[in-house]
Amino acid sequence: MGVSQAVSVNQFDAVDMDKFFNPSSVVIIGASNAKFNLGAMICKTLRDSVNYPGKVYVVNRSGEDVHGAKGFKALKDIQDEVDLAVIITPASVIPGLIRQCGEQGIRNIIIESAGFSEKGEEGKKLQNEIDETACFYQIRIIGPNCLGIVDVHRRFCCMYGSEKIVLPLIQQPGSVSYILQSGGMAEMVAERLTENMMGVNKMVCIGNKSDVDEADLIDYFSMDNTEVIGIYLENVKHGRKLMTSVKQTSKPVLVYKSGKSEAGSAAAMSHTAGMAQNDAVFDGACKQAGMIRLQSPEELHSLPKMFTKMPLLSGNRIAIFTTSGAFGSIGADLLANTDLVMAEFSKETKSKLRQIPGVFNANNPVDIGPAPPEIYLEIYNILITSGEVDGLLHIVGIWQDFVKDVMNALVNFCRRQNKPAALYAYNSMSKLMSARLERELPLFNTAEEAVRALEVSYQQYKYLCQKEEPLWKK
Amino acid sequence: MEKIIQQAIRRGQSVLSEYDSKQVISSVGITVNREKLAGSRQEAIAIASEIGYPVVLKGCSDKAAHKTEMGLVRLKLGNAEEVMKAYDEIMDKGFTLDGVLVGEMIGGDREFVMGLNRDPQFGPCVMFGVGGIFTEVIKDVAFRIAPITERDAEEMLDEIRLSKLLKAFRGKPAVDRKVLVQALVAIGDLGYRCNEIAEIDINPVIISGNQPVVVDALVVLKHH
Repeated sequence: MGVSQAVSVNQFDAVDMDKFFNPSSVVIIGASNAKFNLGAMICKTLRDSVNYPGKVYVVNRSGEDVHGAKGFKALKDIQDEVDLAVIITPASVIPGLIRQCGEQGIRNIIIESAGFSEKGEEGKKLQNEIDETACFYQIRIIGPNCLGIVDVHRRFCCMYGSEKIVLPLIQQPGSVSYILQSGGMAEMVAERLTENMMGVNKMVCIGNKSDVDEADLIDYFSMDNTEVIGIYLENVKHGRKLMTSVKQTSKPVLVYKSGKSEAGSAAAMSHTAGMAQNDAVFDGACKQAGMIRLQSPEELHSLPKMFTKMPLLSGNRIAIFTTSGAFGSIGADLLANTDLVMAEFSKETKSKLRQIPGVFNANNPVDIGPAPPEIYLEIYNILITSGEVDGLLHIVGIWQDFVKDVMNALVNFCRRQNKPAALYAYNSMSKLMSARLERELPLFNTAEEAVRALEVSYQQYKYLCQKEEPLWKK
Repeated sequence: MEKIIQQAIRRGQSVLSEYDSKQVISSVGITVNREKLAGSRQEAIAIASEIGYPVVLKGCSDKAAHKTEMGLVRLKLGNAEEVMKAYDEIMDKGFTLDGVLVGEMIGGDREFVMGLNRDPQFGPCVMFGVGGIFTEVIKDVAFRIAPITERDAEEMLDEIRLSKLLKAFRGKPAVDRKVLVQALVAIGDLGYRCNEIAEIDINPVIISGNQPVVVDALVVLKHH
């Protein structure tokens, strides 16, 4: 019978996984007061940047304390129970350390050191040694060769050199969780959070993912307070396991994958194998499993607000509301490249719109001239309650301060009516930024981005409908 | 089907001949062109008149994966004389052949490709796309991970850039999508069920009237 379904051997429950994010005590192995010590940076972050409420221990050669964390010469000297070990030492000593952790009863380890499977034969041998030891003690490992974890709500962070990442994160707790196969991506997302009206729940850099991979973390995030899962992947190890995890969660999974140009198998004998480029297969897998494939890394931070601030788009009929004829046409052009359509208005709707003073065009796109706030609100009401419109593309100029107020009202109205609007404004960028921050308006940076937000919202809606089918038990 | 594959493995073949490949895929319900294997000139002529002219002759062997390049294909043969001449030409190439395939000549402007591949991360996956000799150049294909549902197959048909070719086109009727969908589902099931098959290449699938007909196929076996 067919293919071996890759399923994690020791599927572990949320309590175990929780110890990675919410440890009541942690030991940083390799932290010392030597110059440029990465472990020491973690101790400092825990104490000074995130004000971590749990206990921190360190293990180093001299047994010295580091940034207020109690020091020990060996792991076995720590009398208290330790939930999590963070290892940041030369790779060669790590297999021995894993054994000591096992003996000490530690079941969760994050290995941040590099020098494993990414470093040739010698590294692979070390990796195998670690895998075997971890398996024996039933230890779960994140990494190696990774930056570690941030849990914003629990104020835990074991990312080294991460002040820049962690400060904006901690100030803005939220509901988006990230699984990133790169530290650089973590920095990019963290830096753009504030302008994107988005807070982070948890962030994990998975590195070489020798054990815990993106699928395990999707399983975990589908059970915690995460609303949106963002993923940056460089490679997939267990494709079917990933698909199963995605199929089992109802939360939006947004994935950006690099390595599109990776060539297919050179030795392929058939046309099919020759064209079965890794990327085309991944694309099919995303569609089958219900994973939203992102077009740029920036979408990792620009799109989540469409899911956290707005209801899903449950149909493809879009009305454009604009104060600029130009942007009306541009919006319509952009929609034409998607599976969304311009909503067609009935006679009744058109005649209602015509009765409103200041409406230049009672067809879609609805184009208005200078008008007071009541007019805006009346049009929103006509469009959204018409039964002919599933979502709104709102492209306006901020020609008066009240426009921010009407956008605020629109957002609230949309939530009540369970229909989304994607907002873009073509002027007053500085005012806009402050509006986005003060009022938490899901404003997008370009008209393209706003249309894309509607597109992915509808895609997620369709995925949810498809997920109800038991695809794998046909 | 099992018998064909097991026999090929025992003989140490890395691929199945065209004839055997088509036997395997037609055993899961995929329509292939009518054809028979001839062992002599006379047999070739008899088969040709049974099938009806024009016919195609192809030298058949598991060693002949690139028949056209090897000069083993003769198209549009209109009578017994042409069949005889083509038979002799193919035999004169000096390859060891299982025989010469005499098949019905399928006419149609639209050609598609279907296939199966094993991805190192995702396992068996099904492909559909624009076929013919320019397949690799046009590179308009969609993949899904096997097994696939009818809905997946429908999506694949719509996903290729040239999906309009499946609709009514230059006086030709719209393609019978149901047949393509069932074929894709069957390929997925075959790849998922049968571990001995490494790759399948069905190219071209010619649209004759509104019906997709397989004209050439290659089944690649796993290395042993």
